[in-house]
Parts: sequence; structure tokens; C-alpha cells
Amino acid sequence: MFRKGFLKNKKGDANLLWKVLSVLLVLVVLSGFLLFLHSKINGAVVLEQSYSKNIALLIDASTPVMDMKLNMDKAFDLAEKNKIPRDDIVKIKNNTVTVRLSQKGGYSYSFFNDVDVSAYADIYPNKNYIIKINGYK
Amino acid sequence: MVTNKIFLNKRGGGEEIISLYLIAMIFVVAGGLAGMVFIFAGSPYDVREIEATLLIDKIADCVSYGGKINESFILNKEIQKTNLDNCHLNFGDEEEEFFYKIIFYEVGDLENSFMEIRGGNLNFESSCEVQDENEFSILPKCVEKSFYSLDNLDNQYIIKILTAVRKIEKNVKK
Repeated sequence: MFRKGFLKNKKGDANLLWKVLSVLLVLVVLSGFLLFLHSKINGAVVLEQSYSKNIALLIDASTPVMDMKLNMDKAFDLAEKNKIPRDDIVKIKNNTVTVRLSQKGGYSYSFFNDVDVSAYADIYPNKNYIIKINGYK
Repeated sequence: MVTNKIFLNKRGGGEEIISLYLIAMIFVVAGGLAGMVFIFAGSPYDVREIEATLLIDKIADCVSYGGKINESFILNKEIQKTNLDNCHLNFGDEEEEFFYKIIFYEVGDLENSFMEIRGGNLNFESSCEVQDENEFSILPKCVEKSFYSLDNLDNQYIIKILTAVRKIEKNVKK
């Protein structure tokens, strides 16, 4: 509550200043924490792992002939930010799925279903990947 | 006098304090939460149980489809099949990371199986037995399922499938 002439009160000034500072401190620490949380959850390492395992399990569960459309909004956004071409996000070779969302390596996970599979990005601007199960090897 | 008080203002008998405790508490709580997130986010997703279940489904579809047993498995019960050649499984370089066991019973005799097929890393069988009561993340993840099937003459069979997936490096925090 504002009091009449409170600005003239030195003790009141100092009191208000400390209250504002304490609130600011809490806000700074909490925003730092939220930023840390956001970077961890939406970081390339976590997303690469999540998508590569998801795709490998989808392939394991599939049977020919089958097309699967996987929404990868977050992956496309992060790949664009890290200058990874759309068509290089998911690579499938020798029963291994590799997802790359940053310039550092990527994450690979294998599948056991012996199928001929191809993966390609959906037509721009759609942020999907198409996983196509062509047949058994 | 308490020395950790960085501000003390007395007015009208009241006391308002912003102490080091407050600041310390903020950092401790935020640090604790950040630590928990770091531990949680640092652990890989463990998908081995799903993988083992999918492997069972795949083998089950190969052994018996639509409730009818694949005759090639029971044509000659004297000749034990040792592999799953036509089941479209390819473990690549990671064959040692998987294990499967398929046991065939006739419905009239559930005590004695008439055929067993094992493949992959046979050492995992004992790891699965150890985990009957308690699971250990550093051991292979085991899943077991059984189902009922018929042959062309309507003879009844119970087929039990046990699978195990290790892949610790990709699924368990080191």
C-alpha cells in the first residue's frame, strides 16, 4: 500500500528497495532455472535420442508395405537453427536409424526387423518425416 | 545479534528482514530442481522392454499366424529347429545383445515341452531367471508371453516365448 509522502521517508525507501530487489532476485533465479529446463528438454541430445529410438521401434513394429508419417516439429525447428538440411535429419542404413539435429554427430539406434526401409522429409513446409517400409529384405 | 542479517529495519515494533537465509534458500531450491532435471534428462530413455515385447510379437507372428501354427515348426518333432531363418529378423552386429527362447507344449502335457528353440546370447537366460522377483537395470530386460495355437488337424499347442534385450550402453545411465 502506498503511503502519502513515502518517498520522503528514507527508511521506507530502503525498505521498498529491498523488497523490489528480493522479488527481482527470485525472478532472475527462476527464469534461469526455466531456461535451463527448456534447454535440457528441447536440447539436441535429448531430441536426437528420443526420435531415433521412436523411429527404430516404429520400424520394429511395422510390416511391409507401410508408410508412416511422423510429426517432427521440434526436430525441424532445431535442425534449421543448427543449419542441418531437412533431408539429413533422419538417415537409415544397415538396420540403424541415425537422427542428427546439430553439427555434433547425432544419435543412432538399431532395429531388428529385416525390412527394406527408406526415410525422407515431407514436402516443405510440412515438418513431418515419412518412413516407408518397402518390403522384406 | 544475528550476523547473517543483511538488512534490518525496525519500525513501529515490526521487523522486516531479508536475510542470507532467503537468498540461500532460493539458490538451494533452484539448484535442487536443476539437479533433479539434470539427473532426469541425463538418463537415456530405456526402451528395452518395448523392444523385447516387439521381438516377441515378431516371433509370435512367425511361429503362429491367425491362431494357426506355422507347420514348418512342427513337421518333424524329432528334428529340432535351431534358428528363425524365415522370421525376417536381422540383429546385425548386435546379435549378442538379444536372446530368445520359444517353447512348444502340447495342451495335454504342459509339464514337458516337445520342442525348444533358443537363439542370440544364451547367457541371458540365467539373467532372466535371476530377475523373476527383482529387476536390475544393468541386466538384460526380459519379457515372457505365452499363447495358444492350433495346427491343421486342430491339435492344440501352448507356445511360450521369452526374449531379452541388453543394450545397456544406449538405455541405462552409466
